[in-house]
Amino acid sequence: MAEILQYVHKDGFFHRLTPVSKIVFIIVISLMCIISINLVFLAGLVVAVLLLAYISRLHREVLQQSKLILVMSVVFIIITLITMPNGATIGYLIPEGTPLLGGSIPITQGAIEIGLILTFRFMILIFAFQMFLLSTQPRDLVHTLEKMRMPMDYILMFIIALRFIPTLQIEGNRIHEAQLARGYNPGTGFIGKIRSVAPIVIPLVSNALLRSTVLGLTIDMRGYRTGKRTHVRESTLKSGDYGVLFAMAIASCGYIVLFMNQVI
Amino acid sequence: MIELEKVSYTYPHTVQPALHQLSLSVKKGRCVMVTGPSGAGKTTLCLAAAGILHHEYGGKKEGLVTIEGRDVAAYATLSELATMIGIVFDDAEAQMIFTTVEEEILSALEHRGLEAQVIEERLASIMATTFLAELRNRSPHHLSGGQKQRVALAATLALGNDVLILDEPTSELDEHATRRIVEILNSLKAQGKTLLLVEHKYAHFKDMVDTLVVLEAGSVIAKGDPEEVLKDERIKRIVIPDFRGVRSSHLTPAITVKSPVVTVQHLSHAYGEVLALDDISLDIHAGEFVAIVGENGSGKTTLVKHFNRLLSPTSGDVIIRGKNTKASTITDLARHVGLVFQNPDHMFFADTVKDEIEFGLKNLGTTDGDRIIDAALEDVGLMHTKHLYPRWLSRGERQRLAIACVIAMSPSIIVLDEPTTGLDGNEARLVMEILKGLQNKGHTIIVITHNKEIAQHCADRIITMEKGKVISDSPAGGM
Repeated sequence: MAEILQYVHKDGFFHRLTPVSKIVFIIVISLMCIISINLVFLAGLVVAVLLLAYISRLHREVLQQSKLILVMSVVFIIITLITMPNGATIGYLIPEGTPLLGGSIPITQGAIEIGLILTFRFMILIFAFQMFLLSTQPRDLVHTLEKMRMPMDYILMFIIALRFIPTLQIEGNRIHEAQLARGYNPGTGFIGKIRSVAPIVIPLVSNALLRSTVLGLTIDMRGYRTGKRTHVRESTLKSGDYGVLFAMAIASCGYIVLFMNQVI
Repeated sequence: MIELEKVSYTYPHTVQPALHQLSLSVKKGRCVMVTGPSGAGKTTLCLAAAGILHHEYGGKKEGLVTIEGRDVAAYATLSELATMIGIVFDDAEAQMIFTTVEEEILSALEHRGLEAQVIEERLASIMATTFLAELRNRSPHHLSGGQKQRVALAATLALGNDVLILDEPTSELDEHATRRIVEILNSLKAQGKTLLLVEHKYAHFKDMVDTLVVLEAGSVIAKGDPEEVLKDERIKRIVIPDFRGVRSSHLTPAITVKSPVVTVQHLSHAYGEVLALDDISLDIHAGEFVAIVGENGSGKTTLVKHFNRLLSPTSGDVIIRGKNTKASTITDLARHVGLVFQNPDHMFFADTVKDEIEFGLKNLGTTDGDRIIDAALEDVGLMHTKHLYPRWLSRGERQRLAIACVIAMSPSIIVLDEPTTGLDGNEARLVMEILKGLQNKGHTIIVITHNKEIAQHCADRIITMEKGKVISDSPAGGM
């Protein structure tokens, strides 16, 4: 089973960058996509991030979340259609001929545009953060955040949150199998998910709490909170990092100019 | 090195002390092995000896714990205690913090105030000692149980402490993986390390144990030279599981009609590109007691998951009581095949033992639940726990509750994955006697086990698997 949001050992362009360059990349890309409301620009940004994932040999892992993104896209568009009707009406979500509710939710051009903007933003953020986490060892991340003077306890909390994702994923599957073997059939779809909450979530949370106790003790007993550390295999800025930092600086300046001139 | 003097401890919100007037001395360079029934206080003893109880837990504490002659209370933090003592907990998975094996060990080394060159040398040395060099870039989450235990041990060794406390480091490991851990601990002892070891597998460690301590209900009931301690038959039964006579302890029903209840035909199963089962064919007949043995990763669990369709064949067929599993749902199969997983905590979610058993009955639409629940609890000797919270039970009791949950559903075939994991000799024998009793009532019993003693003394037939294939299938006496 593939682990979600966990480091993958590879030798790619993004893997060779220092965490600092990747953090700058994430910040610039995130700000650009959050501020911009230009559909073409956002679509271009999606393509650019995917291209970078391809160059970094991470496209396969990054695209594993396509199903989630597709579902979220549909949800975003339906929500905007219902809550933000705007512009020309293209059709109706419930066909006009349907008794009682027919024609009550118009599909408007403006709502679709907003839905697509949200979808593209979501895609950019998910892809960019995935690339960051897939290519950065937690140890390097700890060191970088430490240098940025972030308190060690907060850094460890962040690392632990990430570390628990595969644990919960694996554990959840085991519990699901154990309950299925007891004849449990919660059904599929949304109702099934609701019904399966107690038999799956209670053991999952109970076991996770026990695990978190052991994990917390392990962190203490390995001395991670002492604050003293020997710097071994420190990553230093290389040509790729300078390239990325330079590209981000140019992109930021270009973006500000275009934004000020209301081009994007 | 570590001294416990009349230590008593009661966890918060409980009345019964987990440790009671416990005194123990662990001298430099010695190996002290602690064993006893589940719930006896072994893990609490580890926490007390490491000073963790004092610094991290509330509850009522009495007595004195000293490390290197200094009261644990005098150590300012756990981090300071960590400069003296290394501890490996029984849950290896929970101790994996980073994303590669090398990162896990290197991160532990970086916090010891060593020179960079020394860190690299020590990293290489620990990797070699724990046989992890080939796994350096692997994700810890994808390793086997034995490999994870070795990583947890290696990260603790990285601290360079002379005292190691190990809480059941081999509980879920097969023979090969256990022998590896024993080999590593033997070499550590030879290097002069002091070891406090909680274990159930005395036979594997007997050559290195200097002092054997047996706990029961929080108190030391035996302590001293292992040979002396084991002269007491009652103690011996706790320390060394003895399954002799289990097969004949109940009248085994004669299999008059050779009717297969499980038929596996040319079954193969692949996880992605990894072939876990490779063209397996076998029949299991009604009323048989079958042991499936083999190392971790040999395909045992993958095979039995096909019996109730938790897994579907990549190729081949599985036929349960004459019906191909492809034509059945998991719920239908749950009526015929009960599967008890290795870790009972994966299934418990109800507020009481009774509700936990009732869950399965409701899923099958069974009426007359109360009578069935009582009968199942009687079968496993847990009637007194009927209204207790399942997670409050000891590991041995939880294992028996998991069996009760399955037998209440009256499946004709009961499959158990490592049912004696983490149990002492008496508890393990009790579980096997319960299974033998169920066989006597007409159930077909299939047990996955690493323990060849169980296979030899309890089962009628032993199927041995290796690398996804059945390499032998013979009556128990012929092994």
